[in-house]
Amino acid sequence: MGENSFAHRKYTYFHDQKYPCEAIDIHHIEVQSNGAKGVFVSLLAAIVVGNALYLVLVKEKSVTLLFSSFLLWAFLRKLLLGKPVKKESVVIMPTLGVQLETLYLSGRIMRQFVPVSKILKPVLQECVTPVTCYWSLSLVMREEEELAPVFKVRLLMEIRKRNYVHH
Amino acid sequence: MMDGLIGDRERHRILMVSDFFYPNFGGVESHIYCLSQCLLKLGHKVVVMTHVYGNRSGVRYMTNGLKVYYIPWRPFLMQNTLPTIYGTLPIIRTILIRERITLVHGHSAFSTLCHEALIHARTMGYKVIFTDHSLYGFADVGSIHMNKVLQFTLADVSQAICVSHTSKENTVLRSGLPPEKVFVIPNAVDTAMFTPAPENPRSNDEIIIVVISRLVYRKGADLLVEVIPEVCRLYPHVRFVVGGDGPKRVRLEEMREKHFLQDRVEMLGAVPHSRVRSILVSGHIFLNSSLTEAFCIAILEAASCGLLTVSTRVGGVPEVLPDDMVVLAEPDPVDMVQAIKKAITILPTIDPQDMHKRVKKLYDWHDVARRTEIVYDRAMKCSNQNLLERLSRYLSCGSWAGKLFCLVMIIDFLLFHLLQLVQPAIDIEEVPNMVMSLGEGSTAGDDIPEQSSR
Repeated sequence: MGENSFAHRKYTYFHDQKYPCEAIDIHHIEVQSNGAKGVFVSLLAAIVVGNALYLVLVKEKSVTLLFSSFLLWAFLRKLLLGKPVKKESVVIMPTLGVQLETLYLSGRIMRQFVPVSKILKPVLQECVTPVTCYWSLSLVMREEEELAPVFKVRLLMEIRKRNYVHH
Repeated sequence: MMDGLIGDRERHRILMVSDFFYPNFGGVESHIYCLSQCLLKLGHKVVVMTHVYGNRSGVRYMTNGLKVYYIPWRPFLMQNTLPTIYGTLPIIRTILIRERITLVHGHSAFSTLCHEALIHARTMGYKVIFTDHSLYGFADVGSIHMNKVLQFTLADVSQAICVSHTSKENTVLRSGLPPEKVFVIPNAVDTAMFTPAPENPRSNDEIIIVVISRLVYRKGADLLVEVIPEVCRLYPHVRFVVGGDGPKRVRLEEMREKHFLQDRVEMLGAVPHSRVRSILVSGHIFLNSSLTEAFCIAILEAASCGLLTVSTRVGGVPEVLPDDMVVLAEPDPVDMVQAIKKAITILPTIDPQDMHKRVKKLYDWHDVARRTEIVYDRAMKCSNQNLLERLSRYLSCGSWAGKLFCLVMIIDFLLFHLLQLVQPAIDIEEVPNMVMSLGEGSTAGDDIPEQSSR
């Protein structure tokens, strides 16, 4: 991995300089998983399941209570932790297009390739959800209604913007 | 660009919150927009927060870089967001941190988003201002509950603004606020947009009376139904032009047919705001029959266009115009017909251009912004109180209500601290200051504002 990397809070940015920039340009952002959230979720699991076990064994309530408590815990876990992403990469090949890669904690890799003919412009966009608002680097594509999200950007101030769109 | 002083004055970063904003058109909406534009010109930073309108969701930019957050909470009743009390806490906190807001300014007692934002902003320690735009009753069940909610929200507000003295009296009585905390800053009108017709449209003897309002009970549509036939009977040379739509339109149409007034009463239907001026300048007299008004911008717009106004003497209406520009009447058909009679007799003495000049001197949005700035400066000087001191204010709201409000605020406080643990403030990136120079590629209000990082 290369020079030209820096860290900010739980995110680390690498710029791969193995290959010449003109041919292939690779950028990575890696996430350090938040220990506190994991501890919190485990604690919650202990409480929910413990409570259910107590009710079933001591108070002799029905066993379905135990199953429903597992379901509740699974739902809460999904809600709080979501899909844990380990690393996101962008491989830019000016003549061919852009490849977006996401590596999850479970080891799964998801790739998406966007041909250069489809890319109109990269944009820095503010995404507003019902609970939060964040910056995102996205690609505007021709003939598509939605944008292709590249990075959920938390390093806005530190990543220098470069224009990769060659018309 | 650092937050600092402009001359002797402090530069504020204001968040305007209301359920009512563009693309909706109305008094509150245009008030927020005009005030924000004038504050931007004075050098402050203004951000507006409102709920989603149709497809319009996310961040949009308006003239002069006014940033608007359309947060994706759907309106559920009369343009109001669903009141979940704590639901909007995360997004409000995020916006307050990323925009480095110093002051939160809420508009309209009818807006649930405004109430929630004010409560959460107080919990997070920001200074809070509330502007009340309407009068409200005391007697019916709806009013009683509304007033209780208002009492809760305003128990801990830093300063409040009302649009007329009558409105101040009404707000102070409804909410129990100390009167020293309430400032009166009347609305203004965009006199550049509402100009009279260049030449006098009094070529023939015909007199045209214009009515533009929502045809609902509150705006006195029932009074119109009584008044119009009587006036048409007494004065054969008078015509009516009625713009606006609403549930009472049916009654007006029936009145037209019953008295055979189809050629004397023209019904225009809903009028877009951009066409209001052209309809006003086609008339000589403006008729306002509202049953309640805190301040009536409509008669101000009419006066700015050079029309003589006939209005009901309700609420804050007598405070709006000088006595020679308006003829007031009780909200009673007989009295209103008398008032229209008086207006017709004094009509030849009216000079539209002169009237427009006088309104221009009396009302100016820049003046409103300067006065609002004084209120902001006062609010910033208010002391910071901790939770216990603030709770004592809520307890005084009532024997049961006080305890309930205290409980709500304690839970809010706890949720706020939980949120600080789960999503620390340092993880929320602050928005860089964007300087919009003239002639730069403008953002036309579509989905993707292109910005550059520094």
